[in-house]
Amino acid sequence: MTETILNIEGLKTYFFTEAGIVKAVDNISFNLKKGESLGLVGESGSGKTVTALSILRIVPKPGKIIDGKIEFNGDNLLKKTEKEMQRIRGSEIAIIFQDPSSSLNPVYNVETQLRDVIMAHQTVSKAEARKKVIELLEVVGIPEAETRMREYPHQFSGGMKQRVAIARAIACEPTLLFADEPTTNLDVTIQAQVLNLLNDLKKKFGMSLVMITHDMGIIAEMTTRIVVLYAGRVCEIAKTYDLFERPRHPYTAALLAAVPRLDMRKTLRVIPGNIPNLIEPPSGCRFHPRCDYTKQICKENVPVLEEIEPGHFVACHEWRNIYLKGEKSH
Amino acid sequence: MNFGRFITRRLSLLLGSAMFRYIVRRLLYMIPVFLGISIISFFVMYAAGDPLNIIRLGRPTVTQETIDSLRRYYGLDKPIPLQYLNWLTNVLQFNFGKSLYGGRPVNFLIGSWAWETIKLQLISILLAFAISIPIGINSAKKQYSKQDMIITSISLFGVSMPTFWLGLILIIIFSFWLGWLPSAGSRGAPYLWWGNPILDQIAHLIMPVTVLVYVMLAQNIRLIRANMLEILRSDYILAARASGLSERKVIYKYALRNAIGPVITYLGISLGMMIAGAPMTEYVFNWPGLGRRYVDAAMRLDFPLVMGITMIITVMTLIANLIIDICYVYIDPRIRLR
Amino acid sequence: MASNRKEKPKRRSASQWAVAWRRFKRNKAGVFGLVIVMAVFFTGIFGSFFAPYPARPNPDAYKPFYEGDVRKPPSWLDPEQTNKWKYLFGTTPIGTDVFSDVIHGTKYTIYVGLLVTVITMALSIVIGAIAGFYGRWVDNLLMRIAEVFLVFPALLFILVFVRIFTLTVGEPFLTLPIINIQIPTGLTIVVLILAFFNWASNARMIRGEFLRIRELEFIEAERALGASNTRIIFRHILPNLLSSIIVISTLTIAYAILLEAAVSFLGFGDVNAITWGQILQENFSEMRTVWWAEIFPGIAILLTVFGFNLLGDGLSDAFNPRLRD
Repeated sequence: MTETILNIEGLKTYFFTEAGIVKAVDNISFNLKKGESLGLVGESGSGKTVTALSILRIVPKPGKIIDGKIEFNGDNLLKKTEKEMQRIRGSEIAIIFQDPSSSLNPVYNVETQLRDVIMAHQTVSKAEARKKVIELLEVVGIPEAETRMREYPHQFSGGMKQRVAIARAIACEPTLLFADEPTTNLDVTIQAQVLNLLNDLKKKFGMSLVMITHDMGIIAEMTTRIVVLYAGRVCEIAKTYDLFERPRHPYTAALLAAVPRLDMRKTLRVIPGNIPNLIEPPSGCRFHPRCDYTKQICKENVPVLEEIEPGHFVACHEWRNIYLKGEKSH
Repeated sequence: MNFGRFITRRLSLLLGSAMFRYIVRRLLYMIPVFLGISIISFFVMYAAGDPLNIIRLGRPTVTQETIDSLRRYYGLDKPIPLQYLNWLTNVLQFNFGKSLYGGRPVNFLIGSWAWETIKLQLISILLAFAISIPIGINSAKKQYSKQDMIITSISLFGVSMPTFWLGLILIIIFSFWLGWLPSAGSRGAPYLWWGNPILDQIAHLIMPVTVLVYVMLAQNIRLIRANMLEILRSDYILAARASGLSERKVIYKYALRNAIGPVITYLGISLGMMIAGAPMTEYVFNWPGLGRRYVDAAMRLDFPLVMGITMIITVMTLIANLIIDICYVYIDPRIRLR
Repeated sequence: MASNRKEKPKRRSASQWAVAWRRFKRNKAGVFGLVIVMAVFFTGIFGSFFAPYPARPNPDAYKPFYEGDVRKPPSWLDPEQTNKWKYLFGTTPIGTDVFSDVIHGTKYTIYVGLLVTVITMALSIVIGAIAGFYGRWVDNLLMRIAEVFLVFPALLFILVFVRIFTLTVGEPFLTLPIINIQIPTGLTIVVLILAFFNWASNARMIRGEFLRIRELEFIEAERALGASNTRIIFRHILPNLLSSIIVISTLTIAYAILLEAAVSFLGFGDVNAITWGQILQENFSEMRTVWWAEIFPGIAILLTVFGFNLLGDGLSDAFNPRLRD
């Protein structure tokens, strides 16, 4: 039984804005096992990024974690002091962001930025750190590391920049790595390279990976288990294969149905309606306005996550009564 | 060992470097600007016709004879373009002619007044920038806190305030009502304030410096705060925090370098305008500096003096701009030297 | 979705202006600025009706002089004065009531603020738009010229130019044809010169905005649909520019008022147009004893400029909110 390294219970992160309270993450619970590749899936606004930021406790103002428990290797992260969190960030838990052009500081060269991370967590001399930086850049596949590390981010191509960002994230060999849409801004050809790199690094350092994305194709490739989020709540948690084979939540099914496929003709099904307003979300089940199977109970009661099969959780009132078609993999 | 070869190598590196070419290019660009301003400065005299007529309008008691002799003396009977060229060649040799009132050479006058102005301005600029940077950063860090709100309002207030009015208030309160500080001038006469000559100068400096610093402070804090706020929202700051860097490093190393740009620009402009001397403040405090003298010269239409001061200020501003641009290249590596 | 189908829910207007107005209303500081600005306009237009004493050169303006009330402090501070409301801001050495002077000066403040801004913005928009739209050498040339204007010390030139022109144009008042309104020449000269030296920085900002909008994709789409250059400029770019123009204009008004006060204070103003700066200039020499004549007009300037600045900031926030979530 592989141990659980991350356990989140009832996480609530709200943003207190002028326009109202945005309930970005509203009671999310899931866990992550050691060495696992977990997918965090959902549309924009579903709360996937905010979840990752909450775990690292770097949610920008006016956001605030108001409830929940985040257990990492047994410790409740929400009870830690800022100094303790700083020690964890970057060295035990790390994150890669979507746009490498904006996640790297434009006024410092690559060496400085990587070196800062290394020296923040390890007591090494500048020279030793420099050597480590060269190693890191080589590991992520940047040629001529020694010369290139003195260059600035804008002198790198998109894919290279993301590799640098990855290097920064794994500099201290973290146990847990969040990848927030790491390939969305990159060309498709580069996408594959970066994803492969992530897989290699994961194997090499024995990291657990949380893959945050809305791209079902990437999810299918990279993950073994998936958490589906909608409007700040968890809809479904299942092993990747099970989820694709037979989804149990209408939203999951809708997501799968909306993905175009080359191998079979199908009409792309559009999910009707709009992304919900997180300040005044729909009552009861947040998906009910757009769901094909809505009943009265869905409007009134919030569905709870139930384990309907070992390892397969659904938050839906109607799961017994609906049969959803999945994606048959060939 | 071979010093000559060392120097030659260094020189050729320097001369060939992109930075050097950049500086030369900028200097060349400055020439048309400089000429443009010199033309405008010179033709200010002719803005409304014959300069001597205007002077006569300002001083109706002047006789026609005096006008004629002045005309000959100042070479105003020669064709205009020739006058301009004469004047320009003189200017380039630092000869700004003689004042119309008193006849003393302008560059001498400027020199003697400049020191007073520089004294006042330099202290104010240094103080203002030293204080504003930490305050601006703090204000951005603690956005929406009470401290931030207070500082933002005070700075907006400061930017809205007529500088001379602040001076007036200070004089009224601290000189007339309380008698703590001298109300005018840069030195006390016949007796010294606070005992010795140095303290006397300091006593005279306090209020004008306060006025100048307050306005620059207000402007600066707004700049820094606005910039820092935007930068603190950026992804790379979030990423820096996510890497576990200490808050201090995140703000002072990662954020500040990106935010400092406009501040440097403002610093450069302030330094360039140093000689312009904040005529308002100098007028209010009767400070014997260039600003005050310029106001007098403008009122009396003492053209050589007016033009001389203008050209000096222009040159200083241009040089300051050049220095700022060079600094920018070091601060922000995205700017290429083209 | 709406559960009650009988009533159609009122859709709030989503136009750029409606959204911005709603956002503006929430900004307390901005609204406060608006209130101040409206108070200033009100005083400027209707001031003559409620000022205790008429404007100079009406001899009744000097009533305090004839009553022997010269150099009197504000009545609410004056132990000898029975009527605490008589001279709210005190009296001047020449025997006028400072409060009335300030009220009558308001119209000049508005005159200067608005006229300078209108002229400057007209120049800036035209030049900025031409530079932004045609680019290349046109842009380069115009921006170089702007640089010349930005580099040299505006105040110094303004003083000299004002002095020269005030001396040459003798008439204190000019009558405008058709509308037959009298305008003070000296002040108008100040206005024209202030506007002349102020266009450069605004033009640069407008050019910047212009370039930014030009690069937006919908412009390319319009061009692909066959829209002509003029149509693109007037129908698509300018309306988007409007919000920036409004903000910049508000701040320009504030700046113009400050600058005019400075020019008048230094003695280069129009003696026939008693602006607030002019009042400060008149009483500067006796500041020691007649301090109220220096402080209160100054407060008026300060409040007015503050109001416009708040308004400008509020508008700027309303149009381009700094994203908070």
